[in-house]
Amino acid sequence: MLLLIRRIVFTIALLLASVEAWAQVSFTADAPALTAMGSPFRVEFTVDAEPDNRSIAAPNFEGFELLAGPSISTGHSVQFINGKQSSSYSCTFTYVLLPEREGTFTIGAATVEVEGKKYSTKPFPVEVIAEKSSANSGGKGASNNPESRIGKDDILLRLKLSDTEVYKGEAIRASLVLYTRASIDRIESLEMPPFDDFWMQEITFDNTPSREEYNGRVYETYKIRELLLSPQRSGEVVIPAATMNVVAQVVQSNSRGFDPIFGGRQVYHISRKLTTPEQKIQVKEFPKGAPASFAGAVGRFSLSAKMPEAEIKANSSDQISITISGDGNLKFITAPKCHLPESFELYDTKSVDNIKVTATGTSGSITYTYPFVARSAGTFIIEPLEFSFFDPATGSYTTLATERFTVEVLDDGKSSSETIHTGVFADYGGSMRQLNRDIRFIHTDVRPERAASLFIFSPLYWLVVVFLLAVFVVLFVLLRRRMRLNRNVVARRMRHADKVAVQRLRMAEKYMKEQNRHAFYEEMLRAMWGYIGDKFNIPVSALTKETIREELYRRGVSSVDAEQFCEIISRLDEAQYAPVSEGDMNSVYGDAVDVISKIESIIKH
Amino acid sequence: MKRYIRNIGSVVLPLLFVVFTLCAVEAHAADATTTAEVSMAEGIKAYADKDYAAAVDSFERVASLGYADAELYYNLANAYFKLGQNRLSASGRTFADGELGRAVLNYRRALRLDPSMEDARYNLDIAVDHTNDTEAIPESFIVGLWHAIANRATTNGWTIFSVVDLVVLLAALLCYLLSQSIVLRKLTFVIAIVALLLFIFSSAFALSQRAKLQDRGQAVVVCNDTTPVHASPDSASKVIRQPSQGVTVELLRAHGEWTEILFSDGEKGWIRSNVIEIV
Repeated sequence: MLLLIRRIVFTIALLLASVEAWAQVSFTADAPALTAMGSPFRVEFTVDAEPDNRSIAAPNFEGFELLAGPSISTGHSVQFINGKQSSSYSCTFTYVLLPEREGTFTIGAATVEVEGKKYSTKPFPVEVIAEKSSANSGGKGASNNPESRIGKDDILLRLKLSDTEVYKGEAIRASLVLYTRASIDRIESLEMPPFDDFWMQEITFDNTPSREEYNGRVYETYKIRELLLSPQRSGEVVIPAATMNVVAQVVQSNSRGFDPIFGGRQVYHISRKLTTPEQKIQVKEFPKGAPASFAGAVGRFSLSAKMPEAEIKANSSDQISITISGDGNLKFITAPKCHLPESFELYDTKSVDNIKVTATGTSGSITYTYPFVARSAGTFIIEPLEFSFFDPATGSYTTLATERFTVEVLDDGKSSSETIHTGVFADYGGSMRQLNRDIRFIHTDVRPERAASLFIFSPLYWLVVVFLLAVFVVLFVLLRRRMRLNRNVVARRMRHADKVAVQRLRMAEKYMKEQNRHAFYEEMLRAMWGYIGDKFNIPVSALTKETIREELYRRGVSSVDAEQFCEIISRLDEAQYAPVSEGDMNSVYGDAVDVISKIESIIKH
Repeated sequence: MKRYIRNIGSVVLPLLFVVFTLCAVEAHAADATTTAEVSMAEGIKAYADKDYAAAVDSFERVASLGYADAELYYNLANAYFKLGQNRLSASGRTFADGELGRAVLNYRRALRLDPSMEDARYNLDIAVDHTNDTEAIPESFIVGLWHAIANRATTNGWTIFSVVDLVVLLAALLCYLLSQSIVLRKLTFVIAIVALLLFIFSSAFALSQRAKLQDRGQAVVVCNDTTPVHASPDSASKVIRQPSQGVTVELLRAHGEWTEILFSDGEKGWIRSNVIEIV
């Protein structure tokens, strides 16, 4: 049931297709443009409609021998794509021709009648060449080995370069082409050479096979890859070999002449490794005399600019944009430098590109935008932006420049002092800089002075230092001597205290014997006070009984002895003016001698 | 007696001559001083009136009289900076006549004479911002601190400070050596140690400042815009850098009309001797 429906639909579709097909008829001829002497080739005339009488009027094949034909084949196909149906019909008339002599011959127009209307093909040329005989070329019947049926030169791989002497940055088109005289079954692997010194871009290409003469022989050619190379360094640049493995097909008659099943023919697959020869490219350095704005752009470019408004407000942003368009190494050009007046703040340049890669190189345009803010009012001149490129076709540099532009920056209404933005920072190449700072005012209250001589290590300096040191030494020596002297006097007095006391006591003893009471007590008191004063280096005026007790106590004399010492002094004081007997004098004298010798012994140890 | 008088004459006459000569020299010097003072005043007035070209002329005249004064160089640098900033060239460019280089040169001269001049340091910083001078290799913390302290005063300032320290040191030492009191001895000992350290450091700062003052190995690029620096003393050699006016470099050696220079970031190169001016 389903099958039936399908068949009906199919039939209807066919009918519709055949109706539609009448609309436009194409009639084409196809033949190799190049052929070799002795090798037959086919010329096909194809019409996509049913021709009247199923025949065409073939041209006169001048210069060729007609070996066979016409053989007619018809084809019909129907396609459904996304529910849409299309059909095609074709009728091909094939002639097999053999070249008779060398030269270029034109195969004239063939005509066909469809529905009474005449259509004709365009005449086309066929070049016939005499091939060189190659030792390795497939020897006819020379050997039965299928390997030997494909000669060394029968399959070749070539890297074709559009130019071998270019300038740095200029684009070269490189095509990897397979040349073959055998039928190629498949490509097994492909290894492209490393293009280290190039910037490389693959481009799309037309991959229809064609025929080409190479080394005097005719090959079928297949493009494998197409690249755009742009050398990045000057000098001799070597492109290493590309390698490819292909499998070729050889059809050989069976050695026995027949084969029970396949009709005496056998197919062999032969693998071949192909390498391209190394190629050298001379990359020329740019000639001298490059303009300052040249930064490696190679090609042919044009420059257009869009300047800001002629009048802009201070502290508002605006931009300059320039567009560089043309053919060349657009991907490698750098933004032209933009020099703006000092009070303009320039921000990072933005770029937008629209670059296409075609077989002739890269082309398109790049737009650079320079945003800026004008900080102060006034009339400013914007310097022309310059862009230079090298034209390899003429071998010379060209500099393009925008026009000099005058811009009027209007005051933004704020007073000038307010427009000074302290603390506005801009980033110039990584270092932060404060904008709108100004230098400080000059020093007005100054008198010009000659260079001051240096004080350090000057004679005066040494004089001062030596003087200070001398003063120090002199003061030190003098003061120390005086102090030492002082100390000596004291020490001597202390040393002699007991002797003095002894002398005074002797004196008193003498007065006692003379019964001179007044002198005796006086001498005794002097001996007692003097002893303590000398011994402890206390001025006599500062001597009291209290100080005596204190000093004696500090020097380790027992309080009993100290008390006794003071008591003797009291007795002497009292006795000096009181009428006392001789015995009193004796006892006081004895006590005084005792206590002094006691204190002396205690202090000494 | 007669002989004695003659002797007096032979002594007095040359003495009188010397006195008169000294007076004449003094008078001449006074003359120059007044000229310089007048020019200085004129320059200051011109600057205040925004006539920077006249200010530059006046200050340069004072400098040409042999005055090497930090204040003078500071004023001269300011005048150059303002002149270059305000006089736009035909192409709208500032500092078209090399004024920026001159300004940096004179700020550096002012700071060489008086490293403690804060205004000159501030203005130099602004001027250097207009050049393409590279960032100097930052000095270590200790070295930075040393320079920061040393730059608080001039050579003579530090020297006088060191002498005062010496006086304090010796006085304290005297007290310490001669005093009987323990407390006084302890106090004077501490004072003496502090004074000794201050004396050592201030002398070192004075020497450090003197070294800076006497260092004539610094130069400033003085040209109209930028000037090429070559890899070798040969104009055909590779241009390694394009310093703008006002870039400060160290001088290394001279060769013919070329001088080898060292940039603050460590790069070396050869420059024509006529585009640099020694600070």
